Amino acid sequence: MGTINISNSKGRDAVVNTRSVRSALKVRWLDGDGRQASTVRLLKATLARDIESLQESAGGLDKVAQSLLDGDPEVDIENFGRALRETTRVFINPDGLMVHKVKQFEIVRNPDGSERERRPRKVAQQNTATETPLKWSGRMMKKSDAYNKFVFSNKLQIQHVNGLTYDFLFGIAKDLEEKDSLMLVGAGPKSNQPLIFNRGGSSYRGFLEGRTKGDQYCLILHLSNLELKAPSAASAREED
Amino acid sequence: MAKPLVFSFNGAELPLAMCKVERSDLYGFVETEALDEKGRKCSTGSLASDGQTLIGSRGTAIANLAHDGTWVEKSQLSPVDGDGKKLAAVPSSFAAPIPLNDTATIDEYLSHSIRSVYQMTCEGDAWGPLQAELKKGTIFSFPYSFRGGLQPDAAFLLLGADGNTFLAIGSPTKIEFVGLQQQVTAEEEDAGDGEGDEIDFGMI
Repeated sequence: MGTINISNSKGRDAVVNTRSVRSALKVRWLDGDGRQASTVRLLKATLARDIESLQESAGGLDKVAQSLLDGDPEVDIENFGRALRETTRVFINPDGLMVHKVKQFEIVRNPDGSERERRPRKVAQQNTATETPLKWSGRMMKKSDAYNKFVFSNKLQIQHVNGLTYDFLFGIAKDLEEKDSLMLVGAGPKSNQPLIFNRGGSSYRGFLEGRTKGDQYCLILHLSNLELKAPSAASAREED
Repeated sequence: MAKPLVFSFNGAELPLAMCKVERSDLYGFVETEALDEKGRKCSTGSLASDGQTLIGSRGTAIANLAHDGTWVEKSQLSPVDGDGKKLAAVPSSFAAPIPLNDTATIDEYLSHSIRSVYQMTCEGDAWGPLQAELKKGTIFSFPYSFRGGLQPDAAFLLLGADGNTFLAIGSPTKIEFVGLQQQVTAEEEDAGDGEGDEIDFGMI
């Protein structure tokens, strides 16, 4: 459950809730006795025992084979196979050591893989639940025009938090339903910036859809980061 | 060449070639590079909770344990749903022609989250009648599973605004109508000029 600060067509704004609408099939696995089985993450190998480390300690790749025959330097019997609980993601340098201070860069590449830009990495800040509300862009797109122009990969349902925001959201849903349209939702003064819901998270274009049924409403924020169109060059990949 | 997805439409079998469409094909992509103090490229790994064991990207494995904690192979386990009902495996969509009998409305299509998209092509004119139907705005829907598995995805065959035919694969969502009583707990205005700026997907 998250929040979003949005405006209506009159420029009034409110902080309301967003709810994920993802529905995944819950699958449980039962063992031969019909009892619940579980999964566990195990340690299979460490960097200290990988081929680069063995090569360095043996004094060359040609000597690694003999060291494998003489003993089991690639296996840490005390540790391999133990269950891993909490782990931390870290950076490792070419020497196989943990690095505490790194400089991060983003390399922007064209569809053909050529480098377009290189810049210091900037972590994007969320912009959907700030003090500045997302504006009513007024940029409507008929549903029949939008459904086959964009790939809507994610959705959030927007819900009220009290009686006042119920009226506020119901009004927006009714307005959009009457227009049979999706409204572009974006951040920034011109509503043309992508929506970012979490710090460092993915950015999306937002399309707001409203449906009503009696005194109930359904306000859906469709999220897209891809247009439904064929790549200009035949560079698309086949099913992997 | 990858195996085509075969559809059955108007009594004819239509093998359509699939070509995955990804963001990187349209807009390019961004790579992140981390350099240490000497300017050497770093990789990412995991540090175990003991604070000293470094694990590379392929250094872990997932194991299945029976209720008593003993090792068990996945093939010895049987899948059930949340209510304990046994789940039957579905065959791969490539195993037999897919009949295009069902259609979806725009609202039904919009109620799904789309995970992947393929451009569909067919050699020759055999798919003329199917294309004619798609040009009317028809969205065909059918269950889809690439390898076969426990639950098929929802798939839609539709014509894109650029005139190409696409297969959109996704899953249904839990969208529901809410009334005043279904309240959810939790908590400036500046008129925009609404200028018709282009929707730029490349910038995100």
